[in-house]
Amino acid sequence: MAAATHAAAPQRDLKRFAWPIGYVAVILFLFFLYFQILPSLVKPVSAPVLAWLPVATINECLMWAIMALGLNVVVGYAGLLDLGYVAFWALGGYTAGWLMAFPFNWSWDFHLLSPVKATTPGTHINFWLVCIAAGILCSILGLFIGAPTLRLRGDYLALVTLGFGEVITQFFRNSGDIAGFNLANGDPGIGPIDPIGTGPLGAAGIAPPLLTNSAAGNVWKILVLGLLVGICIFVSLRIREGRLGRAWLALREDELAASMMGVPLVRVKLLAYAVGAFFGGIGGVANASAITTAVSPSGFDFGKSVLVLLMVVLGGMGNVWGVTIGAFLLSWLNSNGLKQIGVQIDSFAGTDLAASLPRYNYVILGLLLVLMMLFRREGLIPESRTKALMSMPSRTEAESLGADSLEAEAETDAVEHSDAKADAKIAHSADVMAGAASAPSPSPRREDES
Amino acid sequence: MPARSLTRIVALGAIAALSLTACANGADTGTGTGDSAPTDLVISTDLPLQGASASTSESTNNLIQLYLDSVGGKAGNYNITLKTYDDSTAAKGAWDDAACAKNATDHVANTNEVAIMGTYNSGCAKIEVPTLNQDSTGPMLMVSHANTNPGLTKTWDVGEPEKYYPSGTRNFARVITTDDYQGAGAAAFASADLKVKKAYVLDDNQTYGLGVAKAFSDNAVKNGIEVVGSAHWDAKQPNYTALYQAVKASGADMVYLGGIYDNNGGQLVKDKVAVLGPNDGAVKLFAPDGFTGYPDLLKLDESKGMYLTFAGLTQDQLAAAGGVGAKLLTDYQTKYGKAPDGSYPLYGVAATQVILDAIAKSDGSRKSVTEQVLGGAGITIPADKSVLGKEIKIDPTTGDTSAKDLTIEIIKDGKETFEKSQSIS
Repeated sequence: MAAATHAAAPQRDLKRFAWPIGYVAVILFLFFLYFQILPSLVKPVSAPVLAWLPVATINECLMWAIMALGLNVVVGYAGLLDLGYVAFWALGGYTAGWLMAFPFNWSWDFHLLSPVKATTPGTHINFWLVCIAAGILCSILGLFIGAPTLRLRGDYLALVTLGFGEVITQFFRNSGDIAGFNLANGDPGIGPIDPIGTGPLGAAGIAPPLLTNSAAGNVWKILVLGLLVGICIFVSLRIREGRLGRAWLALREDELAASMMGVPLVRVKLLAYAVGAFFGGIGGVANASAITTAVSPSGFDFGKSVLVLLMVVLGGMGNVWGVTIGAFLLSWLNSNGLKQIGVQIDSFAGTDLAASLPRYNYVILGLLLVLMMLFRREGLIPESRTKALMSMPSRTEAESLGADSLEAEAETDAVEHSDAKADAKIAHSADVMAGAASAPSPSPRREDES
Repeated sequence: MPARSLTRIVALGAIAALSLTACANGADTGTGTGDSAPTDLVISTDLPLQGASASTSESTNNLIQLYLDSVGGKAGNYNITLKTYDDSTAAKGAWDDAACAKNATDHVANTNEVAIMGTYNSGCAKIEVPTLNQDSTGPMLMVSHANTNPGLTKTWDVGEPEKYYPSGTRNFARVITTDDYQGAGAAAFASADLKVKKAYVLDDNQTYGLGVAKAFSDNAVKNGIEVVGSAHWDAKQPNYTALYQAVKASGADMVYLGGIYDNNGGQLVKDKVAVLGPNDGAVKLFAPDGFTGYPDLLKLDESKGMYLTFAGLTQDQLAAAGGVGAKLLTDYQTKYGKAPDGSYPLYGVAATQVILDAIAKSDGSRKSVTEQVLGGAGITIPADKSVLGKEIKIDPTTGDTSAKDLTIEIIKDGKETFEKSQSIS
């Protein structure tokens, strides 16, 4: 790639770095906002910001974003409806419970690059290693869940995943006594889980050595969780451009056609589950270590699966940025937004809504969903492909009105609104994949200039 | 189409209304930046304001506010204001671990806040206490009125209680006795007063339920009651007929429900009566304080004659004892037109009294407030000042209360009625 030198190369290289630079800037801005800017401002200015968007909520949003990005791989890319995503979340959390927490049933002590005191009892392994371990463990579970669902479609697939999500919670609830062995301490769960360590930064006194749920620790967590979300976004975007990503999209659009064209259905489906589960595992560890500091079965209810799915659907299925925005919006609404809106109305109207408004959480989410389905089915920031599909009238509608004219109209619409540059990019990467070694890469087509 | 344009207008209107509220500025939550006078301090409550426990929590908040007003909002030289936190989410209808963790962060971040009255659920306290414990300006004090899980203050499960106090100093106290006493008292009462011979122990497979059920089973055996069987009940089950058939076959003359009413307790009580007959009949029904303070349970016909234990004194007893507590209950009645839900609200005030006393003796810093309770001579509220009508004494080494009151109640005429005071050896 580096050897290829044509006119558009420098421009394209810059474009390639556009989003990472933007993303890093946003995360750094958030970090400095809470680390430096807000504490130095006068209270009337900083208080509303802290009230509407506390640091803890930002961290929660970032954690949900990891989850939504993981589910987006399964639902948005591969089109496999998963109603039990919380299963991976739980397993990730429990991996953290097993590998980086106080003991609950065994007495050996094991430390590996852990930031906690060496005298602390229990198994304590470094956060990053646990993340990888949880990711791998969850991928394996993903394959297990994926395997029996390979032959299923649509509703049946959703039901099986729903079952898995419910089963795993019950499994952990009863895990205090599996044939006499205490595997995961049953309902009380495991806690406290080690905070994330900052290693050299902590040793140098720049950051707190342990990122606990303190004010200082939470500000630094923005960077750690931001990095994890960044990795997930990067992987999501790159994988979509590659062979696997395109296979997923083909599978989503038409399974039968995809298999006819030689997409290996079994492998592609299983990989979708495995990759999605990997993200879920990382998110589970992040949640357990940075957000809740403990895991228990009651934390992994069906409601969480639904909320993640809503984030994906409302944000824009298959669009990484849409999903991230959706995750931020809904998790903010869920954890702090509604309460704060209540506080706001109270200060206007003298009502007492701060405690009661969050009770209407699901009513509001439901309304939001209905409105979105009426006016913007493809989500907040839709994927271009989905948008084109959605704007096509359904067959029955078309037949009643004269199919040919409508379809033609929709197609010309889609062509007119399609992004020529993006098409060219995809075509180009396809050429590169197809055999960049043998043929010199053709310069991208310039449809926009024709 | 007019219908469609109407929906559009409605939708736009809703969105406009929402965005208007969102654009408003000047929020009221003061996350202090330390530029106010140190004589103004904040204490907070941390309770589940959604779901089944909401009414109890609301009563607790109101009663504490009433008490604060009655002492002029002062503790020593400090002006005290109350801030309420919600540790539940609507989606779950109960306490939520993420909400608890977030509250712990907020308590620490709110610089004027010196102590927390709460939590209602032991599981939530186990998440919050380590965070409060590691506060750099603290540790920050938490005094609970309802956390009965023994592990928070004494050796119970592996690693407890040390693992909740990473800094090595304690910062958690409570004004209520623990589950192990509750199980012991219930077993003694069942054996001596009800002449129970065979008990069947059910639990909801959650932390609290398992704890009380275990304590009851152990003590039942000591009191000569045979435990003929035990089982978990599943909160999601539509009915428990099969479960009670098994109880019937075992020949038990008493059923113990270790758990909380929120976990489908209503159905459990109904089916018990349907299969095993009324509670004042051959098979008695016994439940711990996880079933107290629920108006829904008291409304049930089937709950008549059910025994409840409460790890403290009930409202009736406190009202009868006269003094500060009785006056407070009367004031509440006049202001809100009803009595507070359950017996926890008054214990909430008792915990608040401990906090206020500690603040009065301290220099106004978190560390100092905590030291007053868990260090030195500890806190003692004399009987004539205490809302419980008797001395409240907190052990400075563990944070446990010296009081070992256990009340046996029976549900009669749709009310929790005092049956007997059970002393615990």
